[in-house]
Amino acid sequence: MNPAQQIWTIARQELSRVFFSRRSFWVYLLALFPSVIFLGHAVEASIQKRSWSRGRTVSAEALNRVQSGMTDEQVLELLGKPVNDNTRRNRPRRNRDVDPEAERQPEVRRYMMYFDGKRRVDLRFEEGKLVSRNMRDLLNFEEDRKVYAGMFQFFYLRLGIFFGCLGIFINLFRGEMLDKSLHFWFLVPVKREVLLLGKYLAGLIAAALIFGGGAMLSFLAMVLPQDGNEVQTFWQTIGPEHAFWYAAAAMLGCVGYGSIFLAAGLLLRNPIIPAIVMLLWESINGFLPDVMQKLSVLHYLQSLCPVPVPLPNDMPALLKMLLSPAAPSSVPSAVLGLLAVTALVLFAAMQAARRLEINYGTE
Amino acid sequence: MSSTEIVFDNVSKFYGEVLGVNRVDLHIPPGITSLVGPNGSGKTTLMNLMTGLVHPNSGVIQVRGLSPYAPEKLMKIMGYATQYDSGPRGATGIEFVSTGLLLFGYSKTDAQRRAWQAIERVGLTAAAKRKVAGYSKGMRQRIRLAQAIAHDPEVLILDEPLNGLDPLVRAETIALFRDYGAAGRHVILSSHVLQEVDVFSDQVILIANGMIVAEGQIKNVREEIHEHPSQFLLHCKDASKVASLLFAESHISEIKLAPEGQGLLVLTRNRDAFSAALERISLSGIDIDGVIPTDENVDALYEYLIGGGR
Repeated sequence: MNPAQQIWTIARQELSRVFFSRRSFWVYLLALFPSVIFLGHAVEASIQKRSWSRGRTVSAEALNRVQSGMTDEQVLELLGKPVNDNTRRNRPRRNRDVDPEAERQPEVRRYMMYFDGKRRVDLRFEEGKLVSRNMRDLLNFEEDRKVYAGMFQFFYLRLGIFFGCLGIFINLFRGEMLDKSLHFWFLVPVKREVLLLGKYLAGLIAAALIFGGGAMLSFLAMVLPQDGNEVQTFWQTIGPEHAFWYAAAAMLGCVGYGSIFLAAGLLLRNPIIPAIVMLLWESINGFLPDVMQKLSVLHYLQSLCPVPVPLPNDMPALLKMLLSPAAPSSVPSAVLGLLAVTALVLFAAMQAARRLEINYGTE
Repeated sequence: MSSTEIVFDNVSKFYGEVLGVNRVDLHIPPGITSLVGPNGSGKTTLMNLMTGLVHPNSGVIQVRGLSPYAPEKLMKIMGYATQYDSGPRGATGIEFVSTGLLLFGYSKTDAQRRAWQAIERVGLTAAAKRKVAGYSKGMRQRIRLAQAIAHDPEVLILDEPLNGLDPLVRAETIALFRDYGAAGRHVILSSHVLQEVDVFSDQVILIANGMIVAEGQIKNVREEIHEHPSQFLLHCKDASKVASLLFAESHISEIKLAPEGQGLLVLTRNRDAFSAALERISLSGIDIDGVIPTDENVDALYEYLIGGGR
């Protein structure tokens, strides 16, 4: 049996343990959280659309004819009965000394909401006159793509995949030590290096499927509820490329973080320590010199993300500094750089695996 | 180094500041070898060192010419049944044994066939398709033994293999060890009860506090044990009369009254002579209601062997 066959046999035997480990069940929650958020958004939009369409939808042209200063009666005549119509009588905040009668004459505000099948328009009338018109799309594809990009970079890569890989890979050796079952692997005729690669492959397959799948699911949950024409155009242009790079970045994140946490599981007993150190390292990566930035997984992953995320101007300076991406690398150098970091870490892990001893009593 | 022996050359192992074994020199020939010592004496450490589960701080170990640092070679000739189950969670008996065999290079069919043979050998065929999690302690011992022998190893290492076995299964298991030993293989097993293993072992290694205190063929160790003073509690009505008769025997080292008037505590250097003396006293008409050995355990023996006698 050659080493490649042994690696595959080990990986196959480990897969079910990795997928169904009670110790890392929460990994699924991290992977599916963005999908749940985008599905929730889509479901909410769908429910609203169905509910508002039950009433009278108006044409976009008629909506565009609504002007400031029109009376509520004129608007009703033009657009007909609204989806929502609320009237509030507010006590005015006028100075009583100037206008003592004001208290007896409450201010009348009327809110009407119309829907043209795609956009909702909120109209606000004061004293019977239209003073504000707010029009927005029920689903805004451009905006949702930016939201997705932000979620992917700031939640999925930095936290979801990071902690997910921590849960999966650190348990490959450390978890078996705690379960007092690691000796099973040490008592078969397999080099420790081969064992390490087999376990890494099992963790990688599981993590890549969970997080790559999670990225794709959330991407689809973001895209599919959008307007049909926009979605079609998207898939015919940049859509497939975006989908590919989001999935690739998620999977390469598993490659990089997986190797680091596998090594950490061999070298350290407490997973909290490598998690904190790694999180800090990744967070301050933007401040580090160029050479040091190359020793970060996040640095390469951010270079692979297809949509840049603009940080809001009003964001606190410290947070902005931490979230700002480091100088991006080209796609080929990002992929090669990440694989080089992974190879380096796996080599160190192999040395640790050769020295690893079974000592359940001290765990 | 010999390619037919297991050799420890000045091997020491420490767990941090705690001593595992210290400066162990051993040449273990093929056959049945029992490692005997009290809990914490270093038996499992010696076994783990042989199998490469732990590494020595100093010294060299060779198992039939192979280094424990090369598991890809060593484990082809070695089977180790540890104190812990080592199989997939939720596995049935047959899965427990066959899973590891796939990594020996056997096809799935061959692995199944070998697993069934091993399970049959330990008498667990009827339970092979039940989950190991539901096995009794004795059944777990046997399935671990099946796992260790399934690839037909030249070196079989077993950590307390007779624990929890009923007398019938124990006899069958010992027969299996004898078969292996007679075939020129190594069978190394641990126990903390010397009387349990001395009947079938070719050689015994006594270990205490991480050091080898006696080793060799079982008859040599038995002679050492034979000289070990033993203490007995004699239940008798006329304790002073019995004491005076026993004091006349040269092999008696000490006699004292047992607490709460239970009888006499007698220390003898010769069990056979002591038995004969008791028989004579009984025949003379003095009642002796019971004879209970009070220190017939391996700890007392080690105390004697390490301390050089009382």
